[in-house]
Amino acid sequence: MTPFSNEMTAILVVIVVGFLPNEIWRLLGVLLGRGLDENSAWMQWVRAVATALLAAVVARLLITPSGALVALPFLLRAGAVGAGVAGFLLVRRSVLAGVLTAEAVLIAGAWWLGVAN
Amino acid sequence: MQPSDPAATEAGPTFRASYFLRGVAGAFSVPGVVLMATFVGFGGLLHDVGFPIGAGLLSTLLIWALPAQVILVGGIASGAALPALAVAVCLSGVRLMPMVVALMPLMRGRRPNLWLELIAAHFVAVTMWVEGFRLLPKVAVEGRPSYAIGLGAGLASVSMIATGAGFYLTSLLPGPLAVALLLLTPISFTILLVRNARERVDWLAIGFGAALSPLVANTPGGLDLFWSGVGGGTLAFFIARIWKADRA
Repeated sequence: MTPFSNEMTAILVVIVVGFLPNEIWRLLGVLLGRGLDENSAWMQWVRAVATALLAAVVARLLITPSGALVALPFLLRAGAVGAGVAGFLLVRRSVLAGVLTAEAVLIAGAWWLGVAN
Repeated sequence: MQPSDPAATEAGPTFRASYFLRGVAGAFSVPGVVLMATFVGFGGLLHDVGFPIGAGLLSTLLIWALPAQVILVGGIASGAALPALAVAVCLSGVRLMPMVVALMPLMRGRRPNLWLELIAAHFVAVTMWVEGFRLLPKVAVEGRPSYAIGLGAGLASVSMIATGAGFYLTSLLPGPLAVALLLLTPISFTILLVRNARERVDWLAIGFGAALSPLVANTPGGLDLFWSGVGGGTLAFFIARIWKADRA
């Protein structure tokens, strides 16, 4: 699909819909500085929403993926991510180890099933 | 550290190129490589959904927060309404504020300079936050703003190169490797979530956010991320509170 016919529209969207609503928090972080109570109920709620949002993004990428990932069964996609978490937890909480484990499982699975070649 | 001559410190410029360059060099580390890999994945996603590469590179430089970038690009691809996306991006960015607040004392240097602080704060994201706490305490206080900006600029530069590489590699790579590229985004986010989860409320938020996502898919108005984020997060928040109250 082609969401944008021209690059300028996309750049405008990146600035207005992406950059500004995101950067406001960094600006507030500088300006509010130490006056902020990180453990207030309000901040706890905000953190919970941000965490749930990120989890929803992951779930959507896995359940309704785009492009080449569609060729793989859902169980393989989810299993690779599960294996990655296991790799991360088992190998000294190393992000690199987790990523490599997930990728190894995914590539081996794709090769075994003979898809995505 | 030797207490330096106050007169000499005052005379010196606030921004120091030598510290900036040392900061850039600090970007080349294992976390820097992991970050690069995730942005290669983002480049693959851009190519996959047909997002223009110029705007994609700009999003890495300006937004500089992969979850927000994926929400934006993925949302546009699935036809979400732009105001709903702006709200989702805004909610996902909240976590940046406490990071900036916590890291700022290490990036501030001797003389507060609002512009340098704003530039340094722009580069704050998960990797910068982890690496900043590791590297900045070893840097002389007067050089910290320049070092922090150098570190951020270095990380952003390699990430932009990686974004471009991912965009152009997807079409060249054989099937299994192209698929592996697209898995980089979900797997790195999942590990990020697990790594940052400390309390019960975090695990609940992960569970509810993921579980609600397919249930609210195709919500009219393209608000599905909004509902799973706000709904899942609010549920997690209240259930954790009730549990805590029961214990007390």
